[in-house]
Amino acid sequence: MYAETRLATNTPGLPARLPLAAALLWLGALAASASPWLAELDPAALISAFWTYNSHDYTSVLAHFSWAPRVSVAILIGCGLGLAGAVTQQVLGNPLASPTTLGVEAGGQFGVTIATLFAPAVLAFSPDLAAVAGGLLAIFLVIALTWRLGFSPVTVILAGLVITFFMGALNMAFLLLKGEWLGNLFIWGAGSLVQNNWTPFMDLWPRVLVLALALVLLMRPLQLLQLGQASASSLGARVGMIRMLALFLVVLMSATVVSRVGVVAFVGLAAPVLARLLGARNLVERLVWSTLFGGGLLLLADTLAHWASTWGDGSLVPTGTTTALIGGPIILLALQSFRNTHHMPGQDASPTGFIPIRRPAVVIGSVLLTLLLATFIVSMGWSPGLQEWSWTPLSQWDDAWVWRGPRMLAAILAGVSLGLAGTLIQRMTGNVMASPEMLGISGGAALVMVLIVLSGAEVGRAGQLTAATVGAAGALGLLILLARRHRFAGTQLLLGGLALYVFMDSGLRLVMASGGTVASKLLNWMYGATWLISESEALALLSLILLISLCLFTVIRPLTILPLGDTSASSLGLPVGRARLALLLLAALLTASATVVIGPLSFVGLIAPHLARVLGQHTVGRQMMVAALAGGLLLAVADYLSRIVVYPGQLPAGLLAALVGGLYFLWGLSRHGRS
Amino acid sequence: MSISILLRITAVLCLCVSATVATATTWQHEQGTLTLSETPKRVVALNWAATEALLLLGVTPVGVADKAGYSVWVKEPELPEAVPNIGTRVAPSLEAIAELKPDLIVTSSEMAPATDLLERIAPTYVISVYKKDSRPFSKAREMLLTLGEILDLEERAQAILTDIDHTLAAQRERLRRHGADDQPVALVNFLDDRHVRIYAPNGLYQTALNALGLTNAWPHAGNYWGFSVVGLEAIAAYPDSRIVVIEPTRPGLSEHLEDSPFWTYLPAVQRDEIYQVDAVWPFGGVFPVMRLASNLTDALIQGGTDNVR
Repeated sequence: MYAETRLATNTPGLPARLPLAAALLWLGALAASASPWLAELDPAALISAFWTYNSHDYTSVLAHFSWAPRVSVAILIGCGLGLAGAVTQQVLGNPLASPTTLGVEAGGQFGVTIATLFAPAVLAFSPDLAAVAGGLLAIFLVIALTWRLGFSPVTVILAGLVITFFMGALNMAFLLLKGEWLGNLFIWGAGSLVQNNWTPFMDLWPRVLVLALALVLLMRPLQLLQLGQASASSLGARVGMIRMLALFLVVLMSATVVSRVGVVAFVGLAAPVLARLLGARNLVERLVWSTLFGGGLLLLADTLAHWASTWGDGSLVPTGTTTALIGGPIILLALQSFRNTHHMPGQDASPTGFIPIRRPAVVIGSVLLTLLLATFIVSMGWSPGLQEWSWTPLSQWDDAWVWRGPRMLAAILAGVSLGLAGTLIQRMTGNVMASPEMLGISGGAALVMVLIVLSGAEVGRAGQLTAATVGAAGALGLLILLARRHRFAGTQLLLGGLALYVFMDSGLRLVMASGGTVASKLLNWMYGATWLISESEALALLSLILLISLCLFTVIRPLTILPLGDTSASSLGLPVGRARLALLLLAALLTASATVVIGPLSFVGLIAPHLARVLGQHTVGRQMMVAALAGGLLLAVADYLSRIVVYPGQLPAGLLAALVGGLYFLWGLSRHGRS
Repeated sequence: MSISILLRITAVLCLCVSATVATATTWQHEQGTLTLSETPKRVVALNWAATEALLLLGVTPVGVADKAGYSVWVKEPELPEAVPNIGTRVAPSLEAIAELKPDLIVTSSEMAPATDLLERIAPTYVISVYKKDSRPFSKAREMLLTLGEILDLEERAQAILTDIDHTLAAQRERLRRHGADDQPVALVNFLDDRHVRIYAPNGLYQTALNALGLTNAWPHAGNYWGFSVVGLEAIAAYPDSRIVVIEPTRPGLSEHLEDSPFWTYLPAVQRDEIYQVDAVWPFGGVFPVMRLASNLTDALIQGGTDNVR
């Protein structure tokens, strides 16, 4: 764990740049926030806006009821999220952990979505209740899934990630089907700190204060955690209980805070990273400075969002957009300075420490092929009509192929390429959490697409394809540039990918806040609208994938050798840098072709290789083959379901893949616990 | 306007030619050419603006996208219960459309990636009332007139537009007589208690404001649907304006606003100039303009209050 290595280098003095940076951040943010008002109010009147107003001067009323509560809420929430983030990182022993990693935000949003649709009275009664319940549901699932596995940091993160995907996909399903009814949720999901009253702040501050105090009381046991699980246990600390209590408080904090203003996620990640970068060494320092940086960062981000709104056409720029824009560079900064590569979760062992028994690849392969064939037949034949369900007679399959065939073929191919790409990347980085989604290659493709939607340009199918390819290549280029100095090591790649994802996310939030209909269109693509695929496109994709698969035969040896470590690989005669570059290019190409079809957010690339491992395929070649088949099967089923479940409506297939895959993953994880 | 006149002349010329030659008629549209040898009978509409235009012309579509939503959000003109739904507006089911065996599909360029697939099912007419830099009302007029030509109902289309023009002129006259047309108005839709959609000068509603001789308080262009999402405090920058709240509003909104001096000190609230009008679908065709104009005139003449209801 990284905490132990940091403890060893502990120095008594506090680096001077820490308070300096915090002071600069706060003063800069406050000054920037106040500056537009100084033209109309003198500084004394503006400061007094925090407690009073002059009812004869509407500017003063506005400052007291709009500006001052907004500043206060930003600081309060920023501090709360910063503290929660620091605690989360401590508990999970992972520099990438944040409340987001535990699925809290996705859970909270899920709760609010359900409440808006089915129980608006709950929302009117208390806006927190639904969000907290959703956040707790998410964390409960994470805990329940990881309980038997000793609650290890790696597993918790993995489970949290899957829960995030799963609940995020559920949210999206509701938004897509009921978009008109959920207009306000688009804003909520984007995070806006706009205020016109002191009530939200007055509601929030006692809760945040109580939760913060409770977290501070956990400081001492948390410090024990720094010694590592074994030593802490021997000192009599009940590690599991402490972790759970701390996480529970973190959930309460994030969900409470976020229920009022929406998802302003990256503060909880960026603040602790910044504090550590600037030299906060021990736990107390990290907690204190993360809290302070959180407040300053969110105020700065919110001010930038406000400025952007007034500079543009007055249209709201949500604060979630700017927090993501600030979060991205900070993660990139972190990327440059984290020298140790051994902190990454997933690198030490398989996620569960459980090695499934080997099974013959031929048997598994033919079972999967049979299932795929069965899916094909059912998908072609058994379908809902406007009146009733019916079997399409074989003689009419020609006609049916036009509507059902190409999309299914493309979905299968996308699954195959994601399975291959996922295996490639996991083998390459030696990290079971790595996947095209997490490396940001799909995120890069999506980013370009978001920009196109933002610009309002109309693009055809070819345009979409080109845009996605350009985006994926751009993301890849950036990754290579960033990772070259680290010799393409796993951690840096993942961090870089995360930063890319953050940028994409900021664009997505902006689109979501700007209006329901545009957002629905974008979300549809983001989650993979297979229905748009024509026969020629599907066939082109088929030949592309076949071509790449041939190339893959040449990379089996490097893939087997690379995880042994750079030194061993070099001594075995492998040009490490060049081999990694070639693998990266192949993975990017595979990802780009899948992203065009299925969108960037299905997590088939994460699941299929894992499934292959669970099915007992350990050597590179076998894992790739089985992962490809499993990925194809997963998306074939998803495509069929997407067409039939809400017929004549349809859900994007990528979204269903996330749901189907998520269920599988949760089931698999809990099953490991038992055995 | 001159463009649409030109288009109408061209269309009339086309018709004359077709009448003499008596072969297939063609129309240019946003993604190619539509060629029809006879008048379509079975029409499928893939968005609500097209659905509205067809219903106005007295043609009941054989299939529409997001039927349930239409009945909740657009309401008028009323859609018969028996019309089958063919999926959502962003992702209609091609198979369901094909099953209906239509002879004309009306869609917009939002469906651009699917145009080829739609063409396989039936001749497709593409017209976008809402897209970047388009003027929704003149596009909606064009759509109504062209659909009138295609479906051989030109007189009816003309009559509808004339009727709308007359209604708008009458409402303008009513407003002027009551002296209620001099002060700018801000048209808003509450999304929650902190954010509103404000309707921008490039939207469909601006046509209603122009026709009534009213000024829009909000000067900035919105997105191509013609609105901007803004924080409620953005209204405060326009102290002279009246505020027109378009329903629906969320339960509990009026209590929340009442508690906030930000709202109660707002100049428009102090002057009792908050007006509320029935829900009107802001992203439709020509019909909502007439409805909004009538509702707005009624509300403005009736007088405002100091809060939403």
